[in-house]
Amino acid sequence: MKREATLVFDERLYDVQVLQKAAYRAMNSLTAEITNADGKFSCVLSSNIGIDESSFLFAVQEFKKDVLDYQLRHRLNAETLPIKNLILGLAFSKTGLISE
Amino acid sequence: MSKFQKLEFYVQQRPYELLPFKFDRLNDNEYVITNMAGEYHVIPLPMLEPLINKTLAITSELIPTLRSKQFIRFPNEQAPLQLLALKIRTRLSRLAQFTNLHIFVVTLRCDHSCPYCQVSRQSESKGEFDMTSEMADRSLDFVFRSPNPAIKIEFQGGEPLLNFEMVKYVVLEAKKRNLKAGRNLQFVIATTLSLLTDEVLEFCKQHNIVLSSSLDGPMDLHNANRPRPGRDSHQRFEVGLKKARAALGYDQVSALMTTTDKSLPRARDIIDEYLRLGFDGIFLRTLSPYGFAIKTKKFMSYDTERWLEFYKEGLDYIIELNKSGIRFVEQYSSLVLTKMLTSGDPGFVDLMNPAGAGIAAIVFNYDGSVYASDESRMLAEMGDHTFRLGNILEHSYEEIILSDQLLDALENSFTLSAPMCSDCAFEPYCGAEPVYHHAMHKDLVARKPESSFCKRNMAIFKHLIELMGNDEDTKRIFMGWANRC
Repeated sequence: MKREATLVFDERLYDVQVLQKAAYRAMNSLTAEITNADGKFSCVLSSNIGIDESSFLFAVQEFKKDVLDYQLRHRLNAETLPIKNLILGLAFSKTGLISE
Repeated sequence: MSKFQKLEFYVQQRPYELLPFKFDRLNDNEYVITNMAGEYHVIPLPMLEPLINKTLAITSELIPTLRSKQFIRFPNEQAPLQLLALKIRTRLSRLAQFTNLHIFVVTLRCDHSCPYCQVSRQSESKGEFDMTSEMADRSLDFVFRSPNPAIKIEFQGGEPLLNFEMVKYVVLEAKKRNLKAGRNLQFVIATTLSLLTDEVLEFCKQHNIVLSSSLDGPMDLHNANRPRPGRDSHQRFEVGLKKARAALGYDQVSALMTTTDKSLPRARDIIDEYLRLGFDGIFLRTLSPYGFAIKTKKFMSYDTERWLEFYKEGLDYIIELNKSGIRFVEQYSSLVLTKMLTSGDPGFVDLMNPAGAGIAAIVFNYDGSVYASDESRMLAEMGDHTFRLGNILEHSYEEIILSDQLLDALENSFTLSAPMCSDCAFEPYCGAEPVYHHAMHKDLVARKPESSFCKRNMAIFKHLIELMGNDEDTKRIFMGWANRC
């Protein structure tokens, strides 16, 4: 039996990439159809063939946690990207931070 | 009036700044965070958001650790950036040296008929499965083009001792060339030890050749896994081991085990057998999806969950042994721990990013084909030549190393840009493994949530971190494994 759950996210609070990444991570248990209307993202989650109810409910719960995690990662990455590039530049160049 | 400022004067007034790091849930209560160089720390679940929001109190006990491991820095501090850059450079320094391991498949013939054989061996009499001296010469031309100051030549098969004349030829020729090249040259023969003779041992002794063998466990298990005429594989192994140790030195012979369905209930028996035979470690190895392991459906005989139970049971027992004073190492864990607890990279091909295929190890097959890794030639024996980089008789070093087959595999599987891997806190410990994923999923990257490689390794990484978090003695033992000389 195919099971479904619909989750709605406010687009002011969540980036679409975050939902896509969480959906990707959950693909072993469910598939997600993500749509956008009226400032909301709607995620229709459907169980994969052979996934029983308790496994599906667990996967939906994990999906919600992953959305929060990915949103946090999204913020962290955006904030630290310039310094990450600086560190990689330092690692692979022959210059230091302080000029001689 | 005191000449010194009050303590409050030194308290950091401005908030800290975040440095790049990744995180993943370790369990229901904790997150693992890893910095750019792979150092990790475990923090309670409710602390992650305040950490990233920069609302963590400056007086928090967590701050000094986060600062010392370069997860955060105080404004304008430059040392954390220099340190991270240095650690990253150290971790990746192996890349600049390029290919170290050169595998010569001198024959595909074998005296064993293991149902899980990953290389699809041939019967002992089929001479067309032997490497020729012309191929060996051209392969050696290739070997000495590698810029690596350390060169390891490993002879594999089949059973390489069935073409011992070719082993001797390659060793002597390589040493002759090395008089001029001046590399740190090492030789290994991967052998079952069943065909070991005094002549072989004398040659190995003379040329400092190390033997790498296979031991699957106690006699009944080993002989069931590794059939040969006479059903005496284990007996021959034991006799060979004694002779080889006496001739070459105790630590010049190592052994690898492969887990079959018959091994699963016998983790302790297998480890006890390694102890009885005087080994100081074991590599708890899962079956790989290549060769006869696929044809005979051996690979499908157990799943990742069951193998993980086996691994965890074995590891628990090994930790118990260490606590009782017996020094014994689980080698896969040791490789992972080296990545977790030091800035070094042990260079294990399966756990490398970019993938180790071709640039850490390369294979010269008995038929002149050059493959990106041992697994690539195993795949080729099943009719899949995706990772065949060329032919040693027809193609130059540049044509092979710059072939699309190799460059595409390395580029497309790069974990820092692969879906899911790029955000994963365990990415610094993991590997790209394009050959495994191609074999299993017909895709160099594959969908990681469906990958048993990802599932197995993620479980191992989490398990090792939890073991260290739960018990100081275990952590001390693991530190010893990670920092072995």
